[in-house]
Amino acid sequence: MAVTGDSSMSRRSGSLSPGELAQASVIAALSAATAIISIVVPFAGALSLVGTVPMGLLAYRYRVRVLITATVAGAIIAFLIAGLGGFMVVLNCAYIGGLTGIVKRRGRGTATVFFSSLVAGAFLGAVFVAALAIMSRLRHLIFESVTANVNGLAAVIARVPDMAPLADRLKHDFAVALDYWPYLFFTYSTVTIAIVTLIGWWALSRVLSRLFGIPDVHKLESSDDAAAIGPVPTRLRDVHFRYPGADHDALGPVSLDVEPGEHLAITGANGSGKTTLMLMLAGREPTGGTIERPGAVGLGRLGGTAVIMQHPESQVLGTRVADDVVWGLPPGTKTDVARLLDEVGLDGLAERDTGGLSGGELQRLAVAGALAREPSLLIADEVTSMVDQDGRGALMSVLSGLTQHHQMSLVHITHYNDEAETADRTVNLTGNGGAADNTEMVETASAPAATVASGHHSDTPVLELVGVSHEYASGTPWASTALSDITFTVNEGDGLLIHGLNGSGKSTLAWIMAGLTEPTAGDCLLDGAPVSDQVGAVAISFQAARLQLMRGRVDMEIASSGGFSHHDRKRVAKALSTVGLDAALAKRRIDQLSGGQMRRVVLAGLLARSPRALILDEPLAGLDAASQRGLLRLLAELRRNAGLTVIMISHDFSGLEEVCPRILHLQDGVLAPIATTAGGMS
Amino acid sequence: MTSPTANRRQRRPVVLLRPVPGDSAVHRLWAGTKLVMVAAIGVLMTFYPGWVPIGAVALLVLVAARIARIPRGALPSVPGWLWILLFFGGLTATFAGGSPVIDIGSVSVGLGGLFNFLRITALSIVLLGLGAMVSWTTNVAEIAPAVATLGRPLRMLRIPVDEWAVALALALRAFPMLIDEFRVLYAARRLRPKDVAISRRGRLRSIWLEIIDLLAAAVTVALRRADEMGDAITARGGVGQISASPARPKMIDLWASVIVIVVCGTALALELTILGTSAVTT
Repeated sequence: MAVTGDSSMSRRSGSLSPGELAQASVIAALSAATAIISIVVPFAGALSLVGTVPMGLLAYRYRVRVLITATVAGAIIAFLIAGLGGFMVVLNCAYIGGLTGIVKRRGRGTATVFFSSLVAGAFLGAVFVAALAIMSRLRHLIFESVTANVNGLAAVIARVPDMAPLADRLKHDFAVALDYWPYLFFTYSTVTIAIVTLIGWWALSRVLSRLFGIPDVHKLESSDDAAAIGPVPTRLRDVHFRYPGADHDALGPVSLDVEPGEHLAITGANGSGKTTLMLMLAGREPTGGTIERPGAVGLGRLGGTAVIMQHPESQVLGTRVADDVVWGLPPGTKTDVARLLDEVGLDGLAERDTGGLSGGELQRLAVAGALAREPSLLIADEVTSMVDQDGRGALMSVLSGLTQHHQMSLVHITHYNDEAETADRTVNLTGNGGAADNTEMVETASAPAATVASGHHSDTPVLELVGVSHEYASGTPWASTALSDITFTVNEGDGLLIHGLNGSGKSTLAWIMAGLTEPTAGDCLLDGAPVSDQVGAVAISFQAARLQLMRGRVDMEIASSGGFSHHDRKRVAKALSTVGLDAALAKRRIDQLSGGQMRRVVLAGLLARSPRALILDEPLAGLDAASQRGLLRLLAELRRNAGLTVIMISHDFSGLEEVCPRILHLQDGVLAPIATTAGGMS
Repeated sequence: MTSPTANRRQRRPVVLLRPVPGDSAVHRLWAGTKLVMVAAIGVLMTFYPGWVPIGAVALLVLVAARIARIPRGALPSVPGWLWILLFFGGLTATFAGGSPVIDIGSVSVGLGGLFNFLRITALSIVLLGLGAMVSWTTNVAEIAPAVATLGRPLRMLRIPVDEWAVALALALRAFPMLIDEFRVLYAARRLRPKDVAISRRGRLRSIWLEIIDLLAAAVTVALRRADEMGDAITARGGVGQISASPARPKMIDLWASVIVIVVCGTALALELTILGTSAVTT
């Protein structure tokens, strides 16, 4: 995601590349969202000012065709939700943002932006005046209606003693102004566009300087190899790979063969190059060594190579299950969607929305999408790491049956040892020594029964939930119950794990305990008063750590979150040391941190305010084994030594017992029976 | 155990891009038909915003809502300040007077101003209702294929309609994910202590800096999302089909179109002949 790097590469003509298309779509959604919020939410109109920034960024990084595509898509969405107003806001943002982005890309300065904005404003003003001239009846209605309001106001003012001249003046001036409406609107448009453009320009410049140095996470490469497709058998000889700009090899040297029809497991710790190996197999050119195949890789083509990746949500492209299965297939290809869904255990869900599926179901859907291409080689890259216990089992049984029912080779990359056992053959990547401290594998744990804490904690209640129920969108046809009648108490120094599968309502519960959501019924009390009146007293660390890091640099982030000045180096260093980070990290940019470091920086900021309790929503998701262990050790220490009250929300159990001796099971929005007694006893 | 506190009165939220469950005639209409109707009626209303067209379209919307069994709960709560604003708008407009004038006892009130104000309010409400009908009865997945079909003639002008349709489909897919991420972003901001700046200048500066920070965070998240989506598209071998069973217009679409054309045509004819209320008079 290098900010400037792509622009040289993207000077291509013709239809959009996958990357360009994805950028256009996401920016379209982003600008539609800002446009809709600026219209629907009262007094948020100013938001449409910053709506120019995403479009500006797009115009800066890509060619105009990408900008136009994003504008069309964004404008249609905004029109569907917020009507013509939303449509116009998106068009405006694209117009102004596009201008600033293109000027920025050409390397020109503020003066150029100012003058081109005047020209653009004048042009738009002319269009606007012409449109109003044609729509004479609507113009007339608007003018008459506003005149009525002004005259009415004047009539009221005139009743006030001595104010009659002022009222006449108001009436007269307004009438005159309306007489000259074309000039008025033209000038207004020119000036507004110029002002908004300048604001957008400044904002874009600031944001761009902030985005500089975000590591490039773009991975797969599409090839236009026209040769006959034949990815297996693949023979890798002394293959190694180094990312552009890196100072050591991410992979290799590796030699291995993938034979037709075999199920091959590749294991190894984070940093051993598992994902890089996936890229090699999926067709990226190695920096050294050779890869032999009988034909082209054919990534995503019929009979070629299919890849299933780690994040369930982001690889689903269709809004409906059936649409996602066929997404991207050549036009005219006939697919037996029902049979494919049946094979992965999603039968009967063809018409469902993909948004409502759990992580495990989404991954099985991805398998169905891969099978629709009848691939010769299927690569599954850590597909279970974001999936809960039940989902993992179902997904593994689908994967392990594939090589028996299809003419394909399966390469399964995993960091779970037990998942590798179903394979015909296992290759262990040892890495290149650079990641020696990361060599441990994760063992999956089975669910322990709910327990009552036998602890050393005090009996002072911190959080009390009394009959808490929550329903989303109450009173509408879309109402859905997330929680019903939850009652339990969290005491000072407690370590509580709230365990539940996807959709059990555990995140809603976390938001309620942090005071961010007010339950529709019942009370959530912090020290006896509703927690929703004390937002910030209970700290919460969200699953997506990046969303919680708002400042550009570690020290600024911690200071802003803790409520002190970032010049106070001592406090920053102290906060960093609480979470086991080195004070030297203080000047590091947020986007250069690893996933585990990000989570720790979030914790440092939250703990700097000495919260009454700390809630962690899926704190281990996306972390490798070593970071997981480190984080758990840290939390256990904080609880033991600092007496911190820790509430963890997770779909997993492994290794959490030390931090959270007490466990509550949440299922479909209610506490499971055993756990209720545990809650009732405190 | 019964809950000790009574249900709190909740505001009904605006629910985005989710149809009201049902399988009525309106739900079954092809998405393209609905989009064309809304666009055509929108144009009609912009050029002839008279009472007769407004009334006719309002009637169409109400009948369609009845057929589609849209419950009243689907409407979001109208915030109090909007009522107040409407009331004061109506009040000042009434003071302006104008014909027609009615006499109540000894006071004569000119209603021309009020009527104009009411007309533009009704126009906005009808246009909003029209758009709401589409989003209440149309599955999101059907919109992009419909746009691709509707835009087919534009392909002859070498306009990349299919590319737009794919981008639209992907944007609709990304939209709820981004909204969720914004929710988290907003919540994370609420958790933070308020910045205390002494001078007004300092406060303004910190607000500006905060906006930039939020923007940068939002954009970073969006760019990550886009990179992942780009990978997902590459893994599917690029762009191709976007729908498993693209819907086509059916007989019911023809009938619905005929009804809308007849109603709107009659309203337009009346507006232009005997019941005109939107003509430029001065």
